Amino acid sequence: MTALASPIGVWNRECIAELKRSWRLPQFILPSVITPAAFFGLFTLAIAKSPQPGAVAAMLAGYGVFAAIGPALFGFGAGVAMEREQGLIELKRVSPMPAGAYVAAKLSAAITATAAAVALIYALGILGGVRLNAAQWMHLAIVHLASTVPFALIGFGIGMRMGGKGAVAMANALFLGSAVLGGLWIPSALLPGWMRGIGEVLPSYHLGQIARGIVSADMIGTTAGHLLILSGITAVSAAWAWTGWRRSPA
Amino acid sequence: MVQDLSAVATLEAVSKRLGGRQVLDRFELAIRAGEVTALLGPNGAGKTTSVSLLTGRLRPDAGEARLFGLDPARPAARARMGVMLQAAGLPDVMTVAEIVTLQSGYYRDPRPLAETLAIADIADLATRRCGALSGGQARRVLYAMAMCGRPDLLVLDEPTAGMDRAATRALWGTIREAANAGAAVLLTSHDLAEADMLADRVIVIDAGRIVADDTPAALRARAGGSVIRCRSSLPLARVAILPGVRDGAADGAEVRIVTTDAVATVRALCGADPGLADLRVADAALEDAIAALLTPDHRIAA
Repeated sequence: MTALASPIGVWNRECIAELKRSWRLPQFILPSVITPAAFFGLFTLAIAKSPQPGAVAAMLAGYGVFAAIGPALFGFGAGVAMEREQGLIELKRVSPMPAGAYVAAKLSAAITATAAAVALIYALGILGGVRLNAAQWMHLAIVHLASTVPFALIGFGIGMRMGGKGAVAMANALFLGSAVLGGLWIPSALLPGWMRGIGEVLPSYHLGQIARGIVSADMIGTTAGHLLILSGITAVSAAWAWTGWRRSPA
Repeated sequence: MVQDLSAVATLEAVSKRLGGRQVLDRFELAIRAGEVTALLGPNGAGKTTSVSLLTGRLRPDAGEARLFGLDPARPAARARMGVMLQAAGLPDVMTVAEIVTLQSGYYRDPRPLAETLAIADIADLATRRCGALSGGQARRVLYAMAMCGRPDLLVLDEPTAGMDRAATRALWGTIREAANAGAAVLLTSHDLAEADMLADRVIVIDAGRIVADDTPAALRARAGGSVIRCRSSLPLARVAILPGVRDGAADGAEVRIVTTDAVATVRALCGADPGLADLRVADAALEDAIAALLTPDHRIAA
């Protein structure tokens, strides 16, 4: 006989509690929702004199991936590190809560923030003349929301290994590095070879290329190839996050 | 080792190294149902490590930790345990009712919210955000979270630290009730009066070894019965050879003597030191008993 509660109920309640918490702490979520849209509006629409809709669509593909990185790295990386320092995680870990519920809750909060951020970017894109068919919008949304996952796992691994301040610094470095080296701001084809080389180990590069493919912008490599590499990166990140959770003393 | 059938949580020949130090070496511990067990000892003795091993936070390097017969790392093993940690925090923006409800949801047959809040005496705080609680109130919320799942094992790490006198007494009452209802309670405390008051069984750990495992009364008796306090100019070396004396300590002119025969000791003391003043004799407290068990540089701070 087991005295465990139904796991689905636990996961659901944990997710709802985490969303409520994020909602009540707007100062943490708002910057990661607004910054990507603001950058997109500024660099793609406001500065360019007469932007080509095709070029805007290609930029939108990249900025949508960028929008997923902030909530994933800061919500998970910095958030987990701070909760660990406050002793919140230790209390959960001695309770019968399955570890998956904690991860699912943090992930659902990050994906919700990403959804809000990409919705803003899509709205700006449409205002800027981007026209895509329904299937393209849908595929783009799936890729952008899914972009949260590998970065969330990386953030989780950081959060379980570093203190709050260290994790924030690390998240910032990865945030900017992933955007620039992954070709989300300046297309990878225009980057110097060495920058592109570093970018190829980052999930942002492969996600960005897949997203470019969806809006019919020129892409490097094939969607299948990028998906294969992405699943490898995600698996390694998941293993890294899991060992961090298992080994962490607190 | 003979299997203790009433044991709900056991460490069997457990060894654990942390930070390059052997904290526990083939350590044995069994926590039994219906009993309040107090784990006492100086900092670094292995109390927290033992608790972490039993609650699944740490895994043994060698030996075996068992919680209700299962590996404590499995959530199913922890489903019958409630834990109150000393250093645990609460999420600032959630209300007391929300956090207790969330915790209750981890258990299959939790107490109703109102009952849990009443046990911890926090019904009036239900709608308060955790960030607005005082230290003592936060401790009571953590106690509610430990009790909400009707635990068969209650693990309490310094439960009354930071609580006022009235709240401490109230909490002692509910802990005692839980044990009387059949739960096993494992308590770590720096407050020896708390251990004396609550515990059926006191386990004293020093440097990763159990140096005593007995009832508080038996431990007090072992200390020799009485403690003499006085002001005396007599050197400790002279005090130590007086009849009945088992242990002595001096703080300036204030001398504290543990004795098995108070009358004989006092008589000899009066003869040896004509300037003796402020003489007081009391029953040995648990504190004195434990001080006598520990190596001198490991004495518990009073």
